Amino acid sequence: MHSSSSTEPVASSSQTSLQPSVVATTPGAPICSAVVDGSASKQSNQRARASRTLDPRTKLFMLLVANLMLFFHVSVITQIIMVVLFLIPLAAAGRWKLTMNFALTYAVLTGLGLLDPEALGLPWIHVVSALAVGCTMMLPCFITGAYAFTTTSPSAFICAMRRMHAPESVVIPCVVVIRFFPTIAEDYRQIRNAMALRGIAAGGWELVRHPAQSLEYILIPLLMNATNVAQDLSVAALTKGLGREGTHTSRTEIRMRFVDWLMMIVVLIPLALDIAGVIR
Amino acid sequence: MTASNSPADNTNQNSGKPAKSGKLEVADLITIGVFAALYFVMVCVATLVSTLFTGGFGSIFLPAIAALISGCVYMLLAARLGKFGGITVMGVVIGLFLFISGHFVLSFIASIVFPVVADLIAKAGKYKSKALLLVSYVVFSYGLTGPILPLWFMKDAYIASLQARGKDAAYIDGVFANINTGTFFVSMAAILVCAIIGGWFGQKMMKKHFIKAGIV
Repeated sequence: MHSSSSTEPVASSSQTSLQPSVVATTPGAPICSAVVDGSASKQSNQRARASRTLDPRTKLFMLLVANLMLFFHVSVITQIIMVVLFLIPLAAAGRWKLTMNFALTYAVLTGLGLLDPEALGLPWIHVVSALAVGCTMMLPCFITGAYAFTTTSPSAFICAMRRMHAPESVVIPCVVVIRFFPTIAEDYRQIRNAMALRGIAAGGWELVRHPAQSLEYILIPLLMNATNVAQDLSVAALTKGLGREGTHTSRTEIRMRFVDWLMMIVVLIPLALDIAGVIR
Repeated sequence: MTASNSPADNTNQNSGKPAKSGKLEVADLITIGVFAALYFVMVCVATLVSTLFTGGFGSIFLPAIAALISGCVYMLLAARLGKFGGITVMGVVIGLFLFISGHFVLSFIASIVFPVVADLIAKAGKYKSKALLLVSYVVFSYGLTGPILPLWFMKDAYIASLQARGKDAAYIDGVFANINTGTFFVSMAAILVCAIIGGWFGQKMMKKHFIKAGIV
């Protein structure tokens, strides 16, 4: 009964939200065929922003390097250098607040990790210290992850995956996942409204008090909608040629620029030096 | 070309029955995507809950809690799709998103291996056998252990940092007396128990809602 109340807007929103995602046009067709009213300025804005971020593949490479740091247990000095390097593109993309947050968190945690429990005479500080060291190890991954997530547009991500020859059976679910998140948020709001209207779990606390009930009441309508939306999306996407064989063109263009190569090399240097044992 | 494709896929979708061909079609892939998105949201909720409960060690019970709450999603996907590959693709997509959101690269490997096994088990029961579906859900839930693996790497790092500060081995052993394989086994056992409960709950919900509504 909840689902019926929220099906209609979901169906419509899912269709409109799919429109930009369908990057598939027939090969040979003009790439940028239709710019709908008002989106022209948005597009140029996007393009300006895109020029300030790196190529998605470079971001993936940075993620890999950040993961390698976990493997090789790099020293603190290398870690600091790497974190600074990872924060530069984030700042360049204009995410000042995020950059500052990460920098502060990292500084505090590094400080905590260097505490000497013996000298302070408080053995329990080991717990804090161990946690801090663990978190500083994870932070490079989180920084690069946040960078990849906040600065990559879905279409650029898809384009990069296609360029890397990811199988279509992975690319299509990924497109859907990205496009479906807003729908879930919208659904959730509607379901909560419907529940509140019937006096079920109006507040957050009520939701926590009956976990099994709230899980059922929220998840089941979501799933009901999901099955419907999956059908609508299939129809919409197939109409737009997502099921076509062969290569698909993309309106979003990605390419490796000088900065990308530079970033890849610069990021590798400290790691290589650390593994070689130059930085201690 | 697409026009000739879509009616066939639509009929498959509308009847809700597994298609004759065992291959995944675009419509199936979209279904997988939708369910993967829901599953990913469940994982995010689990992360939040786990972090609230266990403080800094955040994600240690993440797989267990995720297993507890996402049984419905899994069971509905298995029932809707009924083809080999669906569960695998969902695992891969989840792993990819975990990797991009800054999780450990090993999580990607875990989220390929376990779903494939889960898929095979579910296939053995033709995606209908309840017991086998439950087993496959338990196996699938272990695919999420990837994000918590760094905890053990983290331990090594702390030991290394203690050694660098000149502490002796006995002292270090003392510090890690209880944060050890014990937590590992507790976390693994928790996944098992939670996955069974979650899967059972999911199957109960399926029976209560979806079979009645004719979705499955």
